[in-house]
Amino acid sequence: MNPVERLYLDALEEGVERDDRPSPGLLLTTARARRRPAAVTVPWAAPYAGRVAAMDAVLASASTDDWARQVVEGWTLQQLVAHLTAKDGLVAADVGAPVLGPPIGTRDPLGRTAEVQAAEEGRSPEETRETWRAQADALCAHLADVDPATPAAPDGLAIPVRDAILARSLETWVHADDAARTSALRLPPPVADQLHPMADFCTRLVPWTLLATGTDGSGSTVRVTLTGPGGGTWLVPLDVGAPEGVRECGQGDAEAHDAQACIVTDVVAFCFLLGGRGAPDSLPAEIEGDRELARRVLEAAPVFSGP
Amino acid sequence: MGLQGDDALLHQRVVSGDESALAELYDRFSPLVFGLCVRVTRDRTIAEDITQEVFLTFWERPLAFDPERGTLRAWLATIAHRRAVDHVRAEERKKPSHLGPRLFEREPAPMEDSVLDAEASARVRHAVQSLPAEQREALEMAYWGGRTYRQVAERLGLPEGTVKSRIRQALRQLAGMLAEEGVR
Repeated sequence: MNPVERLYLDALEEGVERDDRPSPGLLLTTARARRRPAAVTVPWAAPYAGRVAAMDAVLASASTDDWARQVVEGWTLQQLVAHLTAKDGLVAADVGAPVLGPPIGTRDPLGRTAEVQAAEEGRSPEETRETWRAQADALCAHLADVDPATPAAPDGLAIPVRDAILARSLETWVHADDAARTSALRLPPPVADQLHPMADFCTRLVPWTLLATGTDGSGSTVRVTLTGPGGGTWLVPLDVGAPEGVRECGQGDAEAHDAQACIVTDVVAFCFLLGGRGAPDSLPAEIEGDRELARRVLEAAPVFSGP
Repeated sequence: MGLQGDDALLHQRVVSGDESALAELYDRFSPLVFGLCVRVTRDRTIAEDITQEVFLTFWERPLAFDPERGTLRAWLATIAHRRAVDHVRAEERKKPSHLGPRLFEREPAPMEDSVLDAEASARVRHAVQSLPAEQREALEMAYWGGRTYRQVAERLGLPEGTVKSRIRQALRQLAGMLAEEGVR
């Protein structure tokens, strides 16, 4: 915007009466019909409802070409959306929410993905989008009556649904970002309130990623500081059996200095690393203390990121 | 000035499907968008419709806006201006010509992503020339010189409050002059 235009708009703004504008009238009602707002749900599922709405915003901008373009895993955007429906459906089945699409034949995430993708083949992208969104919204609505400790296993391993839904938030976010990039759009990160629980979940995964890669971290603790809105500082004992698990702490806390290694990095970059986006060795991070330990932690981080 | 962080947050909230962010946005920017539409179309009913449509467009496809490439205010104003001008052109095409059917239709100028065309920019610059000297000086320092109120105040050796009210007076005068001249 050049200075003349800025001046023109400022003059216009100064010249109009604050009261002289149409009432919003049916604005919100019409807006809801154009693009659904985030589903109303329990606070612990709000990050998921938010990422679903963000994915829907990406889909709202998708052209016919975008829908047919490969995004990840050799899947087109339409197949990717079917993949999200499939995995959301597995969580839905675990908590007794409605499962959309074909009946569940297999609980293997990739097998279930193939089932839903086959059912969506030949349907229009809008229909695939509608089924995915309806599945997500049905899950959100159902969670109001679900104990957050109820086990759910979208990836094979049973974890409390409260965490399973954070895993779904992270995957929906990562794929929304994949799709946005393919369409040359820039997806902004979640608001801080919704990002923080996802960041917390990612730090709690760290000991398990080490275990899964066969690295023995027992007896060691790392301090992870995630910068930016939604970030924080966590003490992460690397032994999954540690009596005191991963916990958030103030940077000034005395115990925060007990760690063998400290990693400081951007909160979004860290969540994406766990989500399988970005290479551990190119992550912009400041490391103090045991560099070898910190390197092993970062290298193990993406281990659970599937398709 | 300095609302960039605000823009980014409102954008994040709208992308996340937060309806209250749309209501806040309307509250903040509808006087400007509506004012601009009235000025271009000279029809309050049409201007109301276009105003609604501008905010609905933002809600439906919020990723068309990128906070790294400009302010939300400028983006909304640009969309509003484009829609209003399109409306005026469509109306003009409908008007019967006194000279019978035209042999050829003049091609509409390609629409750029800007609020003012060259002619209108020149009129704004001209209007600035006819402001009282004191107001003009402060305004030019702020806009052509890209200075903050504080920097203008330092240069002029005046309290910041005085500079602020001088510039606001200038903007109001300017708005009046531009309305008379019919700058679209």
